[in-house]
Amino acid sequence: GRLLVFPMDGSHWLSMLGVIQQLQQKGHEVVVIAPEASIHIKEGSFYTLRKFPVPFQKENVTATLVELGRTAFNQDSFLLRVVKIYMKVKRDSSMLLAGCSHLLHNAEFMASLEESHFDALLTDPFLPCGSIVAQYLTVPTVYFLNKLPCSLDSEATQCPVPLSYVPKSLSFNSDRMNFLQRVKNVLLAVSENFMCRVVYSPYGSLATEILQKEVTVQDLLSPASIWLMRSDFVKDYPRPIMPNMVFIGGINCLQKKPLSQEFEAYVNASGEHGIVVFSLGSMVSEIPEKKAMEIAEALGRIPQTVLWRYTGTRPSNLAKNTILVKWLPQNDLLGHPKTRAFITHSGSHGIYEGICNGVPMVMMPLFGDQMDNAKRMETRGAGVTLNVLEMTADDLENALKTVINNKSYKENIMRLSSLHKDRPIEPLDLAVFWVEYVMRHKGAPHLRPAAHDLTWYQYHSLDVIGFLLAIVLTVVFIVFKCCAYGCRKCFGGKGRVKKSHKSKTH
Amino acid sequence: GRLLVVPMDGSHWFTMQTVVEKLLHKGHEVVVVVPEVSWQLTKPLNFVVKTYAVSHTQEDLNREFKIFIDAQWKSQQEGGILPLLDSPAKGFFELLFSHCRSLFNDKKLVEYLKQTSFDAVFLDPFDVCGLTVAKYFSLPSVVFSRGIFCHYLEDAAQCPSPPSYIPRMLLKFTDTMTFKERTRNLLAYMGERAFCHKFFKSAADIASEVLQTPVTMTDLFSPVSIWLLRTDFVLEFPRPVMPNVIYIGGINCHQGKPLSKEFEAYVNASGEHGIVVFSLGSMVSEIPEKKAMEIAEALGRIPQTVLWRYTGTRPSNLAKNTILVKWLPQNDLLGHPKTRAFITHSGSHGIYEGICNGVPMVMMPLFGDQMDNAKRMETRGAGVTLNVLEMTADDLENALKTVINNKSYKENIMRLSSLHKDRPIEPLDLAVFWVEYVMRHKGAPHLRPAAHDLTWYQYHSLDVIGFLLAIVLTVVFIVFKCCAYGCRKCFGGKGRVKKSHKSKTH
Repeated sequence: GRLLVFPMDGSHWLSMLGVIQQLQQKGHEVVVIAPEASIHIKEGSFYTLRKFPVPFQKENVTATLVELGRTAFNQDSFLLRVVKIYMKVKRDSSMLLAGCSHLLHNAEFMASLEESHFDALLTDPFLPCGSIVAQYLTVPTVYFLNKLPCSLDSEATQCPVPLSYVPKSLSFNSDRMNFLQRVKNVLLAVSENFMCRVVYSPYGSLATEILQKEVTVQDLLSPASIWLMRSDFVKDYPRPIMPNMVFIGGINCLQKKPLSQEFEAYVNASGEHGIVVFSLGSMVSEIPEKKAMEIAEALGRIPQTVLWRYTGTRPSNLAKNTILVKWLPQNDLLGHPKTRAFITHSGSHGIYEGICNGVPMVMMPLFGDQMDNAKRMETRGAGVTLNVLEMTADDLENALKTVINNKSYKENIMRLSSLHKDRPIEPLDLAVFWVEYVMRHKGAPHLRPAAHDLTWYQYHSLDVIGFLLAIVLTVVFIVFKCCAYGCRKCFGGKGRVKKSHKSKTH
Repeated sequence: GRLLVVPMDGSHWFTMQTVVEKLLHKGHEVVVVVPEVSWQLTKPLNFVVKTYAVSHTQEDLNREFKIFIDAQWKSQQEGGILPLLDSPAKGFFELLFSHCRSLFNDKKLVEYLKQTSFDAVFLDPFDVCGLTVAKYFSLPSVVFSRGIFCHYLEDAAQCPSPPSYIPRMLLKFTDTMTFKERTRNLLAYMGERAFCHKFFKSAADIASEVLQTPVTMTDLFSPVSIWLLRTDFVLEFPRPVMPNVIYIGGINCHQGKPLSKEFEAYVNASGEHGIVVFSLGSMVSEIPEKKAMEIAEALGRIPQTVLWRYTGTRPSNLAKNTILVKWLPQNDLLGHPKTRAFITHSGSHGIYEGICNGVPMVMMPLFGDQMDNAKRMETRGAGVTLNVLEMTADDLENALKTVINNKSYKENIMRLSSLHKDRPIEPLDLAVFWVEYVMRHKGAPHLRPAAHDLTWYQYHSLDVIGFLLAIVLTVVFIVFKCCAYGCRKCFGGKGRVKKSHKSKTH
């Protein structure tokens, strides 16, 4: 078959690669489309890359990422932070929206896509540009995602989300909440639409223009046949799901390769204390100097060798046990038996690599779902979370010593690891299966719940409840009236006497 | 590991047996606990079977079931599960429920079970006893069933099922309902919540007696680790599910074996018209004479050869094309390319054999989930449902001719067949995996939603909503009062004048 892939740039793309490679090996033709200003999406041997022009440069994208990393370390007040993040999201998303608009108005490019007659589209709906392309080309869609903000995913799949035990993103709640935490959860649910409207509603207008019919963001997202979710219930809390959601968490923990000589040498030189792996992900290139010095100081205080992936300026107080590298084979290093701990920004990839390899974590979440990931690992006793803005060298030192020396952390992460890896089918095979399924059957309409055709009050049976209440009230009213009438008849004499008596006194 | 199996009699056991056999084959020690009086369970098996004495005889069992079945030929219940409360089925269920008391009266058996340290219980919840056993020995449990009666899946798995698009059991509604149907559906749901416990009263009483603490059905169901449900979304309407609810529909479809000489001869002799397979399942041995004659008449009017599995008296008007047999290799016959149609009582096993082999069906549901199965196949255009009480020979003839000659039925069932068989893992392997999973990990606590620890009003966030409403109302009230006060101050002169003016007039 012929598959069109419209990925998101960044780490999202990296875990999609494995799926594409498998699909190509199974004999499918894969075409990847990406903006010319892409950072990670490059030519590959197992797919055809077709780039489309966008009204911004690669440098602009890099700049926004650098800025994103910087905002995470900003020591502003809460309100100022919110405003700054809001402004940034608005700026970045309008840039990305312009890219999308440029693509959809590129008649030549779109026509060539149409001619290719794809069987399905694999896309990350984080930005629903792929969803518009899918509707324009009328091809069934498979989504490949971590999570959508503002419950857009649960609305689009009609998946019930009881706010009483499913914590909202960024709420720092677990699945067991006290009353005030539940209040917070409900308030977040009410207010989250504000941020989302800025990013998402322009796509509705864009789609309305391109498809020449009234389209909301919901209409864009809900036709997706299969949702491949990069999580599972070892990391996430159990909650209701829908039949067309497929959980492929841990898809990025592929077979480990042996370490290169350079890293092998580092690990061997670490002696009995072993090593600690430290990476804040590919998005953070620079840490403010003061913070970096504090981190370096803490790292110097532990007996382990620390391998720190860092591209910024070398902190002047870097201890002997700390080795700065521009890049490290994270999954392979975590799989090494000498690895004692993992300092991570708790992005979903890093978290799953930690779970797969059973390495206790010290987590420094910076933005997005990283806070949620850290909270989940912390409640399961598999790691310690630090607030990157407030933490001191002592905090980091203590956290590291705790996860390394307190055996419960290792035990918990090993338990999670064994639960996670105990599955009837590998996530990569599952993802490939469902993409092929959608290609074979031209979608999966039999997995689409009838709830899509109901209004919100019908869905909650409010019309029926109202109707039944009306009947009950009517019956009660009539019965009451009848009784009253009956009473008056029975005790008629008395009543009338009383009445006439009363009326006389007036 | 060691596995304790508490099965249910009848066709339920056929598929459960295949799972148990596979587990045995994988090297697990299996102990099956069965009553000494039963239809299928006492047949020789190649694993350890422990029987316990019961207070009734085989004749009692047959008689109670016959009372139930005979009633189905007189009138069929409408309106969901509620009429079951006071129906001829009651006696049969009481007999089943009483098994549990007999089991626990067998002190030697209980002692044996206590001494043998099992890893898990694999049970069919139909007679409730398996749940009581799991709770008594505090063992993690895996449920194996077509569906769960009443609202116990909603309660015990915390699985949401909005009554607006999920039809309740035995109502014959689809997932698209009119206002009237939605009203009846909601009423049926409320009825279940109000009255179901009465149906299971003696089962819950026996469990309370055994456990020496009062328990409800929800208490018995709620510790279940994994729910294996013998259905899938080709048959069932898509609905919210929970991570520990696993769908294994079609587990009973095996690769067809070659037919025996007897049946091969029948099929070959059928010529170009092919054959029709007719069976009302293993539970129905006799059809009222008048009905049987009508059926025989209709069968005589079609050009196909009919193979009718029937153990009752031979109808006098049986046509030449109809062959009565005491037993037939149903799955193998349905898999034969010459099979044109399948007349079935639409039990879930038969339905899945029809789907697997792609044979259009004429359905005569008799009781239980058969009505629901028939409705589902009918909405998908893969069969025609007949009311077994009201149908005439003409109806049956027309139905048969329709499904055989109207190509859409064959096309629809073939589409369902291809969707059903297109799965990443075979249902039998999936069932075996999850039973082993629960044995390995001593349950699956990480799949247990936190919703279990909430009260109903907490679950629906009613307390939070009430609290927030109270705040909003208080604020509105205060603001209103302040405004009123402010207004009075500002336009004080006027107001006072008016007031004093007014008061003077009084």
